[in-house]
Amino acid sequence: MLNIKNYSISKKLTWMNMLVSGVALLLACAAFFAYDLYTFRIGIAHNLSTEAQIIGSNTVSAIVFNDSHAAENTLSALKASPNILYAAIYTPDGDTFSAYWRDNGGKALPLPAIPTGQTQAHWLVDGQMALVQSIVFQGKLTGFVYLRSDLRAIDGRLKSYAVIAATVLLISLVVALLISRISQRVISEPVVQLAQTVRIVSHEKNYSIRAVPTGHRDEVSTLIESVNEMLEQIQQRDSALQQAHDELEHRVQERTAQLAVANRELDLRNREVERATQMKSKFLASMSHELRTPLNAIVGFSDLLAEQTAGQLNDKQKRFVNHIKQGSAHLLQLINDILDLSKIEAGQLELRCEAFQVSDALPEVLSTIRPLAMAKHIAVQHKLGTDLPVYADRVRFKQILYNLLSNAVKFTPKDGRIDIDCYQTRDAVCISVADTGIGIRAEDQKLVFEEFRQVEGSNANAHQGTGLGLAITKRLVEQQGGSISLESEIGKGSRFTVTLPSGREASSASPPPAVAAPLAPAVAISRIKPLVLIVDDEFSARELLASYLDPDYRIATAESGVEALEKAKQLHPDVITLDVLMAKGSGFETLVGLRKDPETAKLPIIILSIVDQKEVGFALGATDYLVKPIRKPALLETIQKYVPTQVDDDSAILLVDDDPKTLELLQEALRSAGYETQSVQSGARALEVLSSKLVGAVLLDLLMPGMDGFQVIRHIRQEESLRELPIFVMTAKNLTSEEMDLLSRETQGFFQKHAPWQKQLLAEIARVTHGGRRAKGAGQG
Amino acid sequence: MERTNHTAAFPEHRRLRCDHSLLLRHTIVAFSWLVFAVSSALGQQKPTDFQVKAAYLYNFGRFVEWPTKVTAAQGEPFTVCVLGQDPFGPTLDATLAGERIGGRSVVARRISSPQESEHCQILFLSPTEGSHVSKIIEVVDKKAVLTVSDMPQFAERGGMIQFVLDGNRVRFEVNLTATQHAGLTLSSELLKVATTVRRDPLPGD
Repeated sequence: MLNIKNYSISKKLTWMNMLVSGVALLLACAAFFAYDLYTFRIGIAHNLSTEAQIIGSNTVSAIVFNDSHAAENTLSALKASPNILYAAIYTPDGDTFSAYWRDNGGKALPLPAIPTGQTQAHWLVDGQMALVQSIVFQGKLTGFVYLRSDLRAIDGRLKSYAVIAATVLLISLVVALLISRISQRVISEPVVQLAQTVRIVSHEKNYSIRAVPTGHRDEVSTLIESVNEMLEQIQQRDSALQQAHDELEHRVQERTAQLAVANRELDLRNREVERATQMKSKFLASMSHELRTPLNAIVGFSDLLAEQTAGQLNDKQKRFVNHIKQGSAHLLQLINDILDLSKIEAGQLELRCEAFQVSDALPEVLSTIRPLAMAKHIAVQHKLGTDLPVYADRVRFKQILYNLLSNAVKFTPKDGRIDIDCYQTRDAVCISVADTGIGIRAEDQKLVFEEFRQVEGSNANAHQGTGLGLAITKRLVEQQGGSISLESEIGKGSRFTVTLPSGREASSASPPPAVAAPLAPAVAISRIKPLVLIVDDEFSARELLASYLDPDYRIATAESGVEALEKAKQLHPDVITLDVLMAKGSGFETLVGLRKDPETAKLPIIILSIVDQKEVGFALGATDYLVKPIRKPALLETIQKYVPTQVDDDSAILLVDDDPKTLELLQEALRSAGYETQSVQSGARALEVLSSKLVGAVLLDLLMPGMDGFQVIRHIRQEESLRELPIFVMTAKNLTSEEMDLLSRETQGFFQKHAPWQKQLLAEIARVTHGGRRAKGAGQG
Repeated sequence: MERTNHTAAFPEHRRLRCDHSLLLRHTIVAFSWLVFAVSSALGQQKPTDFQVKAAYLYNFGRFVEWPTKVTAAQGEPFTVCVLGQDPFGPTLDATLAGERIGGRSVVARRISSPQESEHCQILFLSPTEGSHVSKIIEVVDKKAVLTVSDMPQFAERGGMIQFVLDGNRVRFEVNLTATQHAGLTLSSELLKVATTVRRDPLPGD
């Protein structure tokens, strides 16, 4: 009964029929029974009442004439009615007049009260029916009759009723069962059959089976028809699907075959491409070496010629040498750019990203850019926070800055301004370079980042560039996880903004030593660098001077004469450079002031001025006088004269290179800086020299026939006495990261020939050789 | 000020009146209780034979049907006459007071000669009249008057209902011949409680 929901339909129908008929019958029986009981009881009461009235009228005279005997006679006639248990006559006062008990038992009962205004009342008490009837004779209350009757008749009736009801119920249920058994077949059988059919269809996936129609016109037959229709449709779709599937499979096979052919072709082409890439790489490697080596010689020697270390040149010669210098420098730049681009495109650019401060990298780039900017009277200003770490490849970062700045200088007319702004955003560092140049039209703004594109209509200066700088810059920035953007307005200027990842997140990773960064010298140097106080009101001028003096001197600056006096007293610089035409007072006044004060009277003061008033300057106490524009060598030479330098050891520098031209170039450069040199053309020869002679440092080429530079380094480091010998590597080779690691570990520095190397090389050598530079009359390279 | 005096005086009067009515009520209650006690003491006393007989006289009237010409005399009271010396006294009047028979009020009359029994429905013959019963019966014969008496042999002598004493109980005999002769119909109920029902031939017939 609980699981009736899971019964089969036929069982459910049977159950339902039985339940409905059973309940209906029960209800009907109960209703009949209740009604009969009610009417029967009323009947009993009525009969009793009639009897009481008869008794009453038969006993009126007995009461009236006080003849209880007559009353008793009347009552005793009740023996004929077996249901009457008790009967009694009462006087109007309620006194018992005569009483009768069927079973001869007991006393007379007291008269129960009947409601006023009624002549009769009946009720049930102790399973008996009691009735009181007042006796009224001729409108006058004469007495009361009290009757009590048992309900045996009702009990008997109840029993027979129950038997009849049970019998009817049983027979009805049996009949209902039979009828439902027969009738349900009409409903449930088709449904059951349909269910079975559907089960078979879904189980066997055979959509050709059909349900058998009943032939009736009811919902079930509609259902069967619908199912059959559905099966028909499914069958059609199934076959269509199968067809489509077959077709698809066929096509897939075809395509697979085609693909296999295409794959084979692709594989072949891939191999060809791979071969071509390898060849390209090889070509690039040899290009970098073969092209740069002779070009390096051209650049170096034309520099030396221009600095007139090999003898005075006349004006024409100077001009020609300058042409050579410029042309070769341009060519070198072009070759470098093309090689970079090729490497980037070939995916061979190796980046060594690390976290470092922008302020570490910027001055070096500025020192290269400032001379160019000064030549066009362009002020270069920068706002630079102290703590601005960037996560990038240090060398490539400098290249990016250099490209942007040189680009800005190139396209900014005379007396313009370049602003460098660096700031930190949430997780990135932004470096923007804004110029007051010609600007770029909106439609050209995207083109400037494409290779070999230069904006049309730009002035002649534009053609100085290779047209590759910005393209390389963009790719470098992107390869380091950054981006570059450009805002520009024609005629007003341009602002390039480079965004690179901040070094704060990556600062935990220990930064590997940079490629061309100055490395910690193996030999400790305790010498304190001389301090130069630069006095100039123009920022860019101070910066330029500072960049000239940077690695060799400590720098202090003053913007005005007053500040200069203070700082001179405070810091006791070794040398003071003094501008004359300053916004706040003349440099000559400052000179007089300095000379008056006993603390500063003896300091060497070099006047650097655009005006040539040497007589006045010297008269006022200037130590020396240079006229702007000032070339770096001249400045260094002049300062050198007045700064006491310690000269300890005059150890020679051993130069190792298989190319005689390079050897000569290096020799010339170092000698002009005051070093003794010895040149050898092979690694083996170098080791021989080292075993017999004490040298101050070794300058080594890597690519040499026979023993190459790495082998030489290994041999030197194996020798106990030479373990701390400073080695510098100078090469045109493209170094792999392993080679860089090795060089970082084993040498004091390495320089790549295609980069500007001279100045840094000299500075590094000076550091490790206890300042082997000697002041000489000749100019320095 | 005056108003205040009036209102102040008013409850005084009321209190006085209340006291009067309370006293009166107490008196009435006490008196009624006394009357009730006496009457109930009287009521509990067994009724005297004459009280019973007076009641029977009334009840005879209820069980007897008079011919229609007699009963048709509407408006007149149903009259119970006592001939001769009245043995009931005020008891009969008290018994009949307020009762009705066939819609008519019931009264008692004392008569001294049978000729006066013209309007009587029931005629009680005092035992003092025993010497000339036959003469009286002759007079009232055919007048549809129910004759009742407690003198001995009354029924034998042509009377209709005669009171008899059955132990302490007052019962009666009926002379059905006499009643039928007078045109009166006695209810079977009445006959049922009668000690004797005579069906003698009429004397003189």
